[in-house]
Amino acid sequence: MFKTLIGREFLDNLMTFRFAAAVFITLLLVVAATAVLIKDYERRLESYNTSIETHRQRLRKWQTYSPGMGRLNVDRPPNPLSLFNVGLDKRLGNKIPVSHSFVPSLWDAEMDSSDNSFLNIFSSIDIVFIFEVVLSLLALIFAYDALAGERERGTLRLVLTHPVRRGHILLAKYISAMLCLLVPLLMSLLLAVMLLTTSTSVSLSTDDFLCIGGIVLSSLAYLSVFYLIGLLISALTRRTGTALMLSMFAWGFLVLVYPNMILATTPPQDASAARGASAFNQIKQIYEEFDRERRNFLANDPVPGDDPAFDMDSPGRWTTGDGFMENQLTLLYYYWNVLSYDEFYDRHLSQVPHVQNYYGFLGPRIVNTADRVWLIRKQALDEIFVRPAFVDRVLLKLSPVGVYDAATQACAGTDLKGIQDFFDTVRQYRQEVIAYLYDKKAFGSRLWFAGDEEQVDWNTLPQFSFQGSDIGTKAKRALPDVFLLLTINLILFVIIFLIFIKSEV
Amino acid sequence: MWYIAKRELYDNLNSLRFALATVLLLGLMLTNAVVHLQEQPASVQKYLTAVTDARNALEARVDSLYELAQKGPGKLYKKPSALHFCAEGGDPFLSGAVESNHYFWENGDLKSFWQMRYPAATSNLTNIRPDVTKIDWAFVIGYVLSLIALLFTFDSVAGERESGTLRLMLANSVPRHAVLVGKFLGALMSVSIPFALAVLVNLLVFSTSSAVHLSIDAWGRLGIIFLVAILYTCLFLALGLLVSSRVQRSAVSLVMLLLTWVTLVVFMPSVLALIASGFSSPMSKDELRIRQKQINDKHLEEYRRVFGGPNSAALQAGSKYVTQEAAEQERLIEERLDEQIAQVQRARSITRISPTAVVQHLLESFAGTGFERHIQFLENAQRYAIEYRKFVVDTDRGDPASLHLMGVRKGMSEKPVRPESIPVFEDTLSLSKDFNTAAMDLLLLTLFVVVLLAGAYLAFVRVEV
Repeated sequence: MFKTLIGREFLDNLMTFRFAAAVFITLLLVVAATAVLIKDYERRLESYNTSIETHRQRLRKWQTYSPGMGRLNVDRPPNPLSLFNVGLDKRLGNKIPVSHSFVPSLWDAEMDSSDNSFLNIFSSIDIVFIFEVVLSLLALIFAYDALAGERERGTLRLVLTHPVRRGHILLAKYISAMLCLLVPLLMSLLLAVMLLTTSTSVSLSTDDFLCIGGIVLSSLAYLSVFYLIGLLISALTRRTGTALMLSMFAWGFLVLVYPNMILATTPPQDASAARGASAFNQIKQIYEEFDRERRNFLANDPVPGDDPAFDMDSPGRWTTGDGFMENQLTLLYYYWNVLSYDEFYDRHLSQVPHVQNYYGFLGPRIVNTADRVWLIRKQALDEIFVRPAFVDRVLLKLSPVGVYDAATQACAGTDLKGIQDFFDTVRQYRQEVIAYLYDKKAFGSRLWFAGDEEQVDWNTLPQFSFQGSDIGTKAKRALPDVFLLLTINLILFVIIFLIFIKSEV
Repeated sequence: MWYIAKRELYDNLNSLRFALATVLLLGLMLTNAVVHLQEQPASVQKYLTAVTDARNALEARVDSLYELAQKGPGKLYKKPSALHFCAEGGDPFLSGAVESNHYFWENGDLKSFWQMRYPAATSNLTNIRPDVTKIDWAFVIGYVLSLIALLFTFDSVAGERESGTLRLMLANSVPRHAVLVGKFLGALMSVSIPFALAVLVNLLVFSTSSAVHLSIDAWGRLGIIFLVAILYTCLFLALGLLVSSRVQRSAVSLVMLLLTWVTLVVFMPSVLALIASGFSSPMSKDELRIRQKQINDKHLEEYRRVFGGPNSAALQAGSKYVTQEAAEQERLIEERLDEQIAQVQRARSITRISPTAVVQHLLESFAGTGFERHIQFLENAQRYAIEYRKFVVDTDRGDPASLHLMGVRKGMSEKPVRPESIPVFEDTLSLSKDFNTAAMDLLLLTLFVVVLLAGAYLAFVRVEV
């Protein structure tokens, strides 16, 4: 009997106009969007490759360590899974300076793109966004008349005259409708993945395919939530017209209105300004202490001349400068200096060991101060930027759309944590570079600022590589949200069951 | 006809969808008003402080005309629109200021002259909050009002046919077009009532607060925006009637309409923009850098040829080097800017296939926000730059002791300048200009409505009952 029910419902759904329309529109939108997004991704990839090359060349122009440390950059590659959910991937900076004089964070990254910056005024879309809007709408269209329609036509009464359990009817309806909705979902995703694999620029690893699997799973759970919402409304109302209107407005509220409204009503607080100012002062004090130490060293020095250049000039190319860089908004404050000579006048040669001695003293202190400051800055940045963003994301999760978005972002690795992983890797890379500098005894060496005798071989510098967060971490981040979606499913189903059991036919 | 319209209206007034639409629109407009009341005073204050600071910095340099000529007018700020709540128009992605930079090179006594720079807005780089659309009038009208219009019309013909009342009505001696127009007017009134109510509440909130003040001009603009919204509603009502008279069952009509809505409203604008922006590629950063260097090298070489010669010739060559190099660099920057603007404008004109994009553009023009407004601001700044340069030259001419050699300290007037004689930058918004840019969009929207209404009429006249 149960099988007959499922079969009947399935055929009923399959032969309708809405099924054909659903398949058509999902395929059309997803394929069109994927094609466009792949092109966009290729552009970003090309821009990334050019940036890497430019940065490498700019570094190679210098034969000494000191200016090189001001020009070493790491570029953030575009994430191929950002086609599914773009998240923060496109929005945050992708050029991160790596220097011994400060610890880079997400807020120090610059946007290095050959693209026209005006193009940002157009909203960006991705495949998950299409699903968010279309699948939820389709699920409601399939669900609104499932119970109310049968009740109106009287067929529900007819079915219940047979010895069928009410739970079975409900389950049969749910299973058959979900099977029907699966068709457009899976077909469009399959086509999207096929397009991706045929494109030469996008290379997907096994892990990436597992991530796509995670996105499919969460899409399924999301679809089911909206079907059940529709079914709940259908079970509660007597007439299909009412059920339809309620579902449409529920959809408009959950998908269009709520996510945009809730964040508009929670503007960033001003309390964080005071927190930022206090942290900034603390950081400044540390650097004042550092500066005092530096001046003491210079004052007690027997050799005349002042840093950073010690009054030396050069017949060839030379550059020098130092100072404090500050940005109160992102709590960035650090001491930088640069000094580089291609050759010296003979009269200055006697000064060189003295300069070497000074930079041998200064280098490690700059590194240590930067590391000390980072502890304070990290905490303050977390409080000022990360925590409000986290609260916003929790608020968004009150709508299934937010949960789905968060789950797929975590799968794609384009969420805040995924991006932070990248910056963690950059910080590790900075440690590697510093270890390399210590290893080469660069700070006290002649090579730090003088390129007249020998030149730095930049090829021996450690290479930066980022493989993306590993699949376990991504799963750990996505699973709570997927479970949340599944729990909502379960609760909704139980409620519908209880209502349907008790309802008068 | 009026009788039918009235009947439709009464039918709708009692329905669930009317109540839900009213609640939804009211909620959205209230949110919009409250958020605007919080944000607007702060942004106006920020603008005023920034402008005063920039002016003070400029007036601090009056002692030397050379300083004024070398460093330029400093930062010029974009005036925030009082109607920011109508359409945000991507303003966070457009920079709020242009500035005159002057640190490019230094060669002995010569320093590079100022050039206008157009920085990209990068404030969003520090923003890690989730990405959402702002609730402005453009969102309420573009997304919510259009959906409501469809929900009010999807069953107006198909539903009556299903229940058999259509046959009953047409059995009377009412002409068919009267039935259609009556239905259209009835639906239009029932959608306009909640919208007008929501708009009134929104404006009422503003009028109770002293922090936000709307001028006569702003009220005129609001009136036009309201009319645009009604026109846009007509478009979706006509679409609903068209589909509803073509199909037999209201369920089918609904599915078709909703899917059309999703395509037209949600996807077309962004997908089309993405496609169209790939058609051209403006000058890239690297190319710009290379060409900048070429220009500087060319002029430096010319200067070096004369350098070391007699003093007056060197002065003259220096003046030529500084001024011509700056002019050429600025032309290059403007060339790149024009290419970028052309790319965006091409993309925007292609998105006009979607009526939602048309309405978005219209609201932006009348609210004085968005891309067209940004271009206006850039033009204002460029005009001011010319005025400022002319002021420097004229002041220099006015001093008989000067050698009239721009770009070198010794060649220019050394008298102090009166602070109030320096031209003031005024960023203006003019309604007639906005109307000109919007005329095309307005025509296009009207055309959409007329075509769809004609389609609905034809479909309904031929309908089998």
